[in-house]
Amino acid sequence: MNNMARLVYRNLRANLDKASLFFELIFPLFFIFVQGAAVSGIVPPFEIGNGKVVSYALFLAGGAVTLTVINGGTNAGTQLWFDRRHGMFEQILMGPFTRAQYIFSIIITTLIIGMAGSSLVFLFALPVLSGISITAQAALLTGLALFLGTVFFGAFAISLSVALKSSESFQIISAVTFFIFLFTSSVFFPIDRAPNYIQAVSLLNPLTYTTDIFRAGLFDAPTPLLPLEMTVLAVEAAVMFTIAVFAFRRIKV
Amino acid sequence: MNVIEVEGLSKHYGDKKAIDDISFSVKKGEVFGFLGPNGAGKTTAIKVLTTLIPPTSGNVRILGHDLRKDAKHIRSRIGVVQQQESFDPGISVEVSMNLYGLLWDVPKDVRAKRIEALLKQFGLYEVKKTGDADLSMGQRRRLQVAREFLHDMDLLFLDEPTVGLDSLARRAALDFLKEKVKQGMTIFFTTHILEEAEYLCDRIAVINYGKIITIDTPQNLKRKFGQSKSVDFTLLEGSSSDLVRSVEHLDEVSKIAQDASDGAYHIMTSKPEVVIPMLYQLAEKLNLHISSIYIAEPTLEDAFIKIVQEVKA
Repeated sequence: MNNMARLVYRNLRANLDKASLFFELIFPLFFIFVQGAAVSGIVPPFEIGNGKVVSYALFLAGGAVTLTVINGGTNAGTQLWFDRRHGMFEQILMGPFTRAQYIFSIIITTLIIGMAGSSLVFLFALPVLSGISITAQAALLTGLALFLGTVFFGAFAISLSVALKSSESFQIISAVTFFIFLFTSSVFFPIDRAPNYIQAVSLLNPLTYTTDIFRAGLFDAPTPLLPLEMTVLAVEAAVMFTIAVFAFRRIKV
Repeated sequence: MNVIEVEGLSKHYGDKKAIDDISFSVKKGEVFGFLGPNGAGKTTAIKVLTTLIPPTSGNVRILGHDLRKDAKHIRSRIGVVQQQESFDPGISVEVSMNLYGLLWDVPKDVRAKRIEALLKQFGLYEVKKTGDADLSMGQRRRLQVAREFLHDMDLLFLDEPTVGLDSLARRAALDFLKEKVKQGMTIFFTTHILEEAEYLCDRIAVINYGKIITIDTPQNLKRKFGQSKSVDFTLLEGSSSDLVRSVEHLDEVSKIAQDASDGAYHIMTSKPEVVIPMLYQLAEKLNLHISSIYIAEPTLEDAFIKIVQEVKA
């Protein structure tokens, strides 16, 4: 096994809190099966692009899968905090690894958690998503959305955990910022029908693009803006990853 | 062959000189002690030598490799037990040993054998299923030391490895280290417990304010800096201020003090053979009775305190 694979395996085995993972899985399912089902009765089906009309339950199911991306991101920051708090960060860096390998291992671990979590939520949501046909283009678009979204939020959480002085402040601030990301994105409602100020904020929000690209793939509903949305998300992910690498290099040991 | 070669090494944090132009070398198979008071620069030195932080200036070669150019190669051949705790709280002792061995790419069958042997050696076999977070501080420390021996290495850095260990565990750990040294391992060792340094180290560097004050064998340090011996005695009568006054005036005596806990007197002198007969004469004259008396050799602690105090002065 090479260095990276060993580090990723170690991260998965040592740093994952099973209770948190369970909650992160239940959380999106709650939205799909409770909120989606309940609100569908009062919100009529609506068009999401390419002439596709979906129920609110279906719409929310797509958003709930991308919710796991943000949860996966929190995990990246928590892993780094765990290692710093318990002295394993320094211990690993005094072993046969480089800093770059360590940070990449956290990102890859986050991707595995994010993708596995999304797939699980997707599988559980299949009863709601019946009638969806998964084409190669759909798989590509949904996969790309989850990948870029996880990279952005993983890198964001790493940068936060480097900048903040205590694990308590990391938990609070990450919860608050992720809450803002969530409610200024298209996860819960079609953003083009939201008030102007929310629409303005959503243009910067990578979760909006993650969710839009994911839905475009899932429901075969690409809009003319899709290439632009993919580009913006890729750029945001790349910029945030670069920030995370620089922040990580500044960690004092 | 020198395993560590350090020339003019400095590490500055802004204006603060954590390490200030130190030079030394460590031979293969040697146990090299690094002693100093809190904040002297010991841990910073270990962080630099283990490539965790870059030096400000100076040349360092570890196992023949340049610290700046071959850091990764150096790290693959060293082991480090940090001063701070390091453990994975969410997993058991056995799993954490296994993961650590995996990190070092130790083959599965070798890993299994070594884990079993080390768990027994360090008294952790009974708690192998216990979570790291549920261990006592001493058990966690033992785990931290034990797991480092899962992988092969040529040089081991130990930064106060026995902190939190009881005396039995400490002695067992030190004996294990001695055995490893016999097999060819080189050890760079810092501790606050000077008996440990004396028991284990071939040579000792005393560091303070980031500078190395002296480097020598424990025996030579005691000879050079622990010149005064202590004549320890007790009186049947308990104490006598007259005797203390008389002893204080003797030219051969540098200091006399009474231990409040057991009432014993300690006379610091470089000539105990002269002081003891005079002490008996004085006691007889004052009608006092010496119930016990012996000469205590200078300890490494005496020498260490003198070295550090001389620098302060």
